[in-house]
Amino acid sequence: MSVIQALDISLAVLVLAVAIWTIVSRDAFAAVVGYVAYGLLVSLVWVRLFAVDVALTEAAIGSGVTGVLLISAAVRLRGTEAAVAAEWPGAGSRVLAAALCMVVTAALAAVVLTMPDPGATLAPEAARHLAETELGNPVTAVLMAFRALDTLLEKVVLFLAVIGVWSLAADGNWGGIAGPRRATNRQGALAFLAQLLPPVGIVVAIHIVWIGANEPGGAFQGGAILAAMWMIVIMARLAEAPAIGERRLRLALVAGPAVFLAVGLMGFAVANAFLAYPAGLAKPLIVFVEVFMTLSIAVSLPMLVLGPPDRPSS
Amino acid sequence: MTEFLLGAAGFVLLTVAIGLIRVLGGPGNVDRTMAVQLLGTGGIAALLLVAAATGVRGAEDVALGLALLAAFASVAFVNSAAPEDDREAGRANE
Repeated sequence: MSVIQALDISLAVLVLAVAIWTIVSRDAFAAVVGYVAYGLLVSLVWVRLFAVDVALTEAAIGSGVTGVLLISAAVRLRGTEAAVAAEWPGAGSRVLAAALCMVVTAALAAVVLTMPDPGATLAPEAARHLAETELGNPVTAVLMAFRALDTLLEKVVLFLAVIGVWSLAADGNWGGIAGPRRATNRQGALAFLAQLLPPVGIVVAIHIVWIGANEPGGAFQGGAILAAMWMIVIMARLAEAPAIGERRLRLALVAGPAVFLAVGLMGFAVANAFLAYPAGLAKPLIVFVEVFMTLSIAVSLPMLVLGPPDRPSS
Repeated sequence: MTEFLLGAAGFVLLTVAIGLIRVLGGPGNVDRTMAVQLLGTGGIAALLLVAAATGVRGAEDVALGLALLAAFASVAFVNSAAPEDDREAGRANE
């Protein structure tokens, strides 16, 4: 066994151990810590599988944004944990649940192991046409050119999700603010970290969006890092979240899908198809769309994590 | 050189794993929060070593992202560990 194999096996064992610890853990907060740790480890696994784009997304969404969402859920549910513990299921239903889970896992494993090798793939096709998009990163080419419709619909789904969350607001709070109030006293380590980290994070996020055309990266990963930086500032109470009635916020939310749709419709006129790019202009147009998508993602994710507005803006 | 880098990555991962056993156990939530910091730091080290050994392009950006997001997670944990939300306190005063 070579060193790299030993390393991969120990990484896999570590991932499994943290996953089991997360499931077994009885305390919701501890389980969330386990989940975030699990996300960090899984992004290492993706790097080992040479899927660096996925590793970036996993780090930003899997452990970053989802982690914060789960932490807020755990904090809100703190009062109910005793009641949940009292309703502990009997041994029979636990054995049944474990058996069902194992059947599903075994079925999934069987399917994966019986897949033809090499499997059905469009990768060579995508690689062959990569030059036509003028992009260097095949993942971005698939997301923004070959399967642009999927990406457009994804952005619309994100937008609909924000509307869904907002629609849970009480009538009196409509147009109001979600999240903590701005603190009057800005001392402490948290405020310091929230002032130190965002400038670095914003530079890294812009770098990841820009480099996404040719290297692993892109709008979603960069947007998620920007979202995380904004959430730090809100969580440290240096600034309040904007009121959901604010026009600038709403414009930022629709900018990504709207610009993508406009460029897509323009395709009818200049390239004879929806979401088609004219030859020679593909890369500038894709980067142009990605800039607005990044903005929308950076604004949508904090709105989803903060939840519906819980107080009026004035 | 490759073998040495991979061995070093394995060693870092091993120390992180041993640290995790102790830290994840708690007893307090603050101790558990440290697990994410430990994994963030150790994971980035292992990632960069493996990336240098296997020549994965763009792994440095993943390391940058992980460094930012591990710090971000710690902010979220600290925020949630605050005794009660200021918001609630503010509401009670209104």
